Amino acid sequence: MRLPVVVRISVLGLAAMGVYTYYANSIPQIQLKPPQQLSLESGKVTNEQLVKAGEGIFHGKGTCEVCHRIGQPGSRAPDLAGVGARAAKRKTGLSGKAYIMEALLDPGAYVVEGFPNIMPKADKPPIGLNRSEVWAITAFLESLGGTVDVTLDDIPKTAGSGGAGGGSAQVVELKLPGDAQAGQAVFMGKGGCFACHKVGPAGTGTVGPDLSQIAKIQTPEYIMGKVLDPAAMGTVAGFPPHVMPQTFGQTLTAKEYVDLVSFLLTLKGGSAAPTTQGKK
Amino acid sequence: MVLALFPVAPTLAQEAGKEVAYRAFPLLGSKLAVWVIAQIHLNFAAFILGVPVFSVIIEIVGWRTKDPKYDWLAHEFVKLIISAFSITALLGGLLLFILVGFYPKLWSYMSGIFFPTFWMYGILFFLETFTVYLWYYGWEWLSGPKKWIHVSLGVLSNLFGTAILFVANAWVTFMVSPKGIDEAGNLQSLWQAIDNPTWMPINVHRLLANVVFGGIIAAAYAAYRFLSATTEEERARYDWMGYMGNFVAISAFLVLPFAGYYLGREIYAFNQTMGITMMGGFLSWLWIIQAILIGILFICSNYYLWLGMERIPGSERYRRYIPYLLMVLAFGFMVWATPRSMVVTLAESRAMGGTYHPILGFLGVMSAKNTAVNILILTTFLSFLLYRRANRLSTKSWAGTGMTVQWATFGIAASIVIFFGVYGYFVDSIVRIGFSVYQVLAVLGTIVLVMAIDIPMFRGAKSTGTIRWGKIAPRSQYVLILLAVTFTWLMGLMGFARAAIRQYWHIFGVMQDTSPEAGAPALGYAANVISGVTIVFWLLVMFIFWLASLGDRGKARAHEHAAPVVAGGVGDPE
Repeated sequence: MRLPVVVRISVLGLAAMGVYTYYANSIPQIQLKPPQQLSLESGKVTNEQLVKAGEGIFHGKGTCEVCHRIGQPGSRAPDLAGVGARAAKRKTGLSGKAYIMEALLDPGAYVVEGFPNIMPKADKPPIGLNRSEVWAITAFLESLGGTVDVTLDDIPKTAGSGGAGGGSAQVVELKLPGDAQAGQAVFMGKGGCFACHKVGPAGTGTVGPDLSQIAKIQTPEYIMGKVLDPAAMGTVAGFPPHVMPQTFGQTLTAKEYVDLVSFLLTLKGGSAAPTTQGKK
Repeated sequence: MVLALFPVAPTLAQEAGKEVAYRAFPLLGSKLAVWVIAQIHLNFAAFILGVPVFSVIIEIVGWRTKDPKYDWLAHEFVKLIISAFSITALLGGLLLFILVGFYPKLWSYMSGIFFPTFWMYGILFFLETFTVYLWYYGWEWLSGPKKWIHVSLGVLSNLFGTAILFVANAWVTFMVSPKGIDEAGNLQSLWQAIDNPTWMPINVHRLLANVVFGGIIAAAYAAYRFLSATTEEERARYDWMGYMGNFVAISAFLVLPFAGYYLGREIYAFNQTMGITMMGGFLSWLWIIQAILIGILFICSNYYLWLGMERIPGSERYRRYIPYLLMVLAFGFMVWATPRSMVVTLAESRAMGGTYHPILGFLGVMSAKNTAVNILILTTFLSFLLYRRANRLSTKSWAGTGMTVQWATFGIAASIVIFFGVYGYFVDSIVRIGFSVYQVLAVLGTIVLVMAIDIPMFRGAKSTGTIRWGKIAPRSQYVLILLAVTFTWLMGLMGFARAAIRQYWHIFGVMQDTSPEAGAPALGYAANVISGVTIVFWLLVMFIFWLASLGDRGKARAHEHAAPVVAGGVGDPE
């Protein structure tokens, strides 16, 4: 029996697609996910932890490895082996950490001879490292042959001000319908957040990071995700993992959740006590 | 898909008046819903914009040579897109609804930048539809002395179609390489937003790819009609149509890699990190799949030409070259598909002694790949040249000199391509990138020069016999189907590549995707989606083919564009 033409060409088409699909499924499967935000602003972090966090950024979110190698010459960007020792001698009047920070935040200011001026600003999108991350990677680069002496105060306050998303298209103020004052009550009461987190003079906990500036250093998306699914958002360096309860999504009502996030979004440092000006 | 939306209607109603960034498309998820609809829409759009480009050229050939078979062929090609027009518009509308409904924040930002162009797009789409319909339905009315008006309509429809393509490309490319905005994302210059770094490269690339796609789908239609034909006459007619469709597709396909390099270069110039991530990062395996698909396309196109030579008396003298051509193609294919900077497992890395193979890794760099693709193009062009002169013997006194110059040109071009390919290993990457320009110029120059000699050399040539249209082996028609399916799959893969290089950004570096679906899926998942999209697209195309064939039943004889007899009657295979 001779199959109809439509059947024959359909079988051929499906077989071809089957081969292509099978091949694509048999090679290494790599998914690309947005990098997690690192927050170190509590200051409770050792140099070793800082360097380790910086190394993670070097290989991950920072995408430094795309052009830079350590201990291996490259044609796109300098080999970073020994940069911690070399940095202090690059520019007269600039300390090693200052030079590294300049190289990260304003890479075009000094371009190593023989290399093209192609490096993007590390704290601006699309890389968009935040202040903590700039601190960590500076420490990591210092550790490559030098001494780690960079502190959070050395990092300009403006670093990472572009935020994870960059321009206004991304960092539009989130207009939550929540009541920040009611959210503060949740923070101090039903949520029990104060037991682990400090917020200005309120709260005494040191189990989790100090949240006094959380709205300044983190995105609304991160804060919302962290309350609902803390494990998925990663653990702040220097703090033990899996301590924050995973159950706020069930124990808080929708209103309490929105109020709590609204409250957290008012925490921008500055004033000593939490304010309610963020009620939107 | 539409029914799946009903359960979420109450939720959507509750959200009315609130500002939301995302809504979740039921069952599929918003990302997959947009992906599927956008890709099917793009496939249809490529088809309806590509076919008129070559149809009007074929019509002009028929008009100037007064050969009715070309006029019939142009009409037959345009007939295919008429039914596809409404489905393209419908899918475009559906895509718009999904974007507005499920990505309102992105849509709001994009419309803030590009709103003036939306009007332009709407007007152009109306003009394009109006002109194409008038072009098709006025075929008989505007014949004879009014033919110039008819041809002008065809040209006009192409101008409108190209303008539509350019406008839509501005939106898509802005998302990849935004420009014309300040650091905060506020619009500074609409023209700069349109004329962003990847706009013109994508315009060129898509224009050529549309012609390839339109040609190969028309060839697949002809293959289907050939295989379903009940008479010799019909088989001959659709054999010729399939040949012409494939000829159009391959002609544009030969230039497409150069457009691809142009696009790649502009991506690197816009953002080195994006370029490197695209070629050596998590997408590196994608280019191996692409190389395999393109290798299949080259081998299949050549195989189709070689099968076609069997129906040409006199072609026997060239058949002995086929094994050598095949060897060159196979070697070029293997080089192009050799990986180098790959994401590998630790075990694989240890086994190879590094991130790439100690010997074969040298074939994986751009020097080798550029050389391979240029040699593949030269070989395919040579296959076409042999096909073209298969039944012809030049009567020109200077034929010997002409052929010597032609062969010398091939030899010089191959030498230039190989020389720069080898020399590329010894220079910096910045210098090496420039070498590809010399290789491309050598190949393009060869195509132009050889054809410039070939056309006059074989004008008025002695024939060794007419082409026996319809006598080609039926397996050749399956080759055309395979080419069409592979091209469609490749388009889906390239669509995924273009979207995935934005990584987790809606608009690269400006608006991050903060939805739970942010990021790019693995290639296996992407391949599953691409296959699904290709199946749906081809089901719709088959429906359109069926509609087109319905129109022919019982009408052909009454129609002024009744099919001409081409069996054995076409001496010129061009």
